[in-house]
Amino acid sequence: MSMDHHHTTLTDRLTFPEENKIATAFFGAGFAGIALSLIGLFVNTEQFFFSYLTSFAFIASLVLGALFFVMLQHITRSGWSVVLRRIPETISLQLVWLGLLFIPILFGMEFLYEWIRPERIAADELIQHKQPYLNMPFFVIRNVIYFTVWAFLGYKLYRNSVTMDRQASDAIDRQQRVISAPGILLFAFTVAFASFDWLMSMDSGWFSTMFGVYYFAMSFQAVLAVVIALVVYLLHKGLLTNTINQSHLHDLGALLFGFTVFYAYIAFSQFMLIYYANFPKEILWFYYRFEGNWIFLAYLFLIGRFVLPFILLLGKKAKSNHKVLFGVSLWIILLQFLEMHWIVMPILHQESISIHWLDLTLLLAFVGVSAGFFFRQFARHSMVPKNDPLLAESLNKH
Amino acid sequence: MSTNHKTFGVLAEFANPADLMDAAAEVRDAGFKNFDTYSPFPIHGMDDAMGLKPSKLGWIVLGHGIAGLLGGIALQSWAMSVAYPMHISGKPFLNFPAFVPVAFAIVILLASFGAFLGLFFLSRLPRLNQPLFNSDRITKATDDGFFLCIEATDPAFSEKKTAEFLKSIGATEIEIIPE
Repeated sequence: MSMDHHHTTLTDRLTFPEENKIATAFFGAGFAGIALSLIGLFVNTEQFFFSYLTSFAFIASLVLGALFFVMLQHITRSGWSVVLRRIPETISLQLVWLGLLFIPILFGMEFLYEWIRPERIAADELIQHKQPYLNMPFFVIRNVIYFTVWAFLGYKLYRNSVTMDRQASDAIDRQQRVISAPGILLFAFTVAFASFDWLMSMDSGWFSTMFGVYYFAMSFQAVLAVVIALVVYLLHKGLLTNTINQSHLHDLGALLFGFTVFYAYIAFSQFMLIYYANFPKEILWFYYRFEGNWIFLAYLFLIGRFVLPFILLLGKKAKSNHKVLFGVSLWIILLQFLEMHWIVMPILHQESISIHWLDLTLLLAFVGVSAGFFFRQFARHSMVPKNDPLLAESLNKH
Repeated sequence: MSTNHKTFGVLAEFANPADLMDAAAEVRDAGFKNFDTYSPFPIHGMDDAMGLKPSKLGWIVLGHGIAGLLGGIALQSWAMSVAYPMHISGKPFLNFPAFVPVAFAIVILLASFGAFLGLFFLSRLPRLNQPLFNSDRITKATDDGFFLCIEATDPAFSEKKTAEFLKSIGATEIEIIPE
């Protein structure tokens, strides 16, 4: 009886078939979204910038989460994930131009951030106290630092990885770890402060020391969902079916399950501490986000982003079941967008949830361009880091 | 030792983990149920090779976790609203967000007890005597030995035939273990 539990060579086709035009379709949708949104810019400028920030924070969270995933695999020298690492690598390559997408926000700052409006500064002593940090030049400098650090990490880790496709190299493999170790430290600081700057400072009186972790926890749960959705998509296209096995999928499912709990833990802790202390300065942020029917979204996140995936992914079989994983993943990605909406939008629409058509066209624009770029780039190189020293270990995973 | 030599089982040694795994699959296919494998380290894929069903431990842990959740909420609801109702900064007596940390901790506590004691129960621990240690060779299982033991309680067990069968599937050493 032969037991086929050892195979050390790749037997699948390694290039993503470009003939299926998925990148083109996404780019088309993205440009349609951009065109419609540009009309909205003139129709309702304020709404445009709020919707823009929502979609930007949504896409940035996924791209940054992917960078964290890649660095985590490198510093832990993970063998299991090698066969699917090219997916988050390709997602995080988008950090190279993510900074360009931030530039429009600089033009809408007078709508988005009250701490920049002279009349608000004059009227509010608290904002005056925060001026040394919350001012336009320092805001720009900080963001330049964030995007430079991220662009370097995203580009370098991807470039090294595809360079090794041509020629295996221990030196480059070592460099991936040498970059990732300080990279993950820089990531922690830059992502936390970026979330303070982009989202927390919109309500300039409010502060939560957990907000950076909260943004990260959301991002990592959501990017795991993205990676799982893409893996299931590839497998159903008949790609990498001898490369990525049920065991890889199970481990991704287990990570999604784990970080579902982590998300809930962080999001609830932030809420509970503020709710229990009930200080006016801190509670107002939640007060506005629980007002009117905004509270339905809060309950939706509790049930939909924690309870439901927790129960669905609890069993061992569910963690590698394609239908369950794909469904839960798309659902979590949708809720990630809605949670960004819930963080940003109550400042503009205090009374009740209002999904403006600009929310949808800008979401279409961001997702279209980002996904189009992903699939175009994914087709350019091997879908698997085929000379990685730990590839054999990954292929043999069971 | 009693004069009545009951047999515990037949112990077979194999040369390496791959042989042991192949042998386990053969033993499984031959219809044996009461057998176990012993090795110095976990061998991935052995569960399938031995035909082991998924452990029931998860259900035990889940049961304990749910009991902890309900118990934790019930305890706090009773204490905070019936037994010792207190006004705490204008919050309602049944203040569920505040109950979560304690309920969570009790879930973890009971689930860990469930996992720990459940594992003891399913492994039939504590066991004062393990007849396998009547063999000197079995101690190699903590060093460089790979063993498979078919126990006498198996319906298909027959001392002579089982020993021959194990020899035929590649065992390097065979030993009959007395009870």
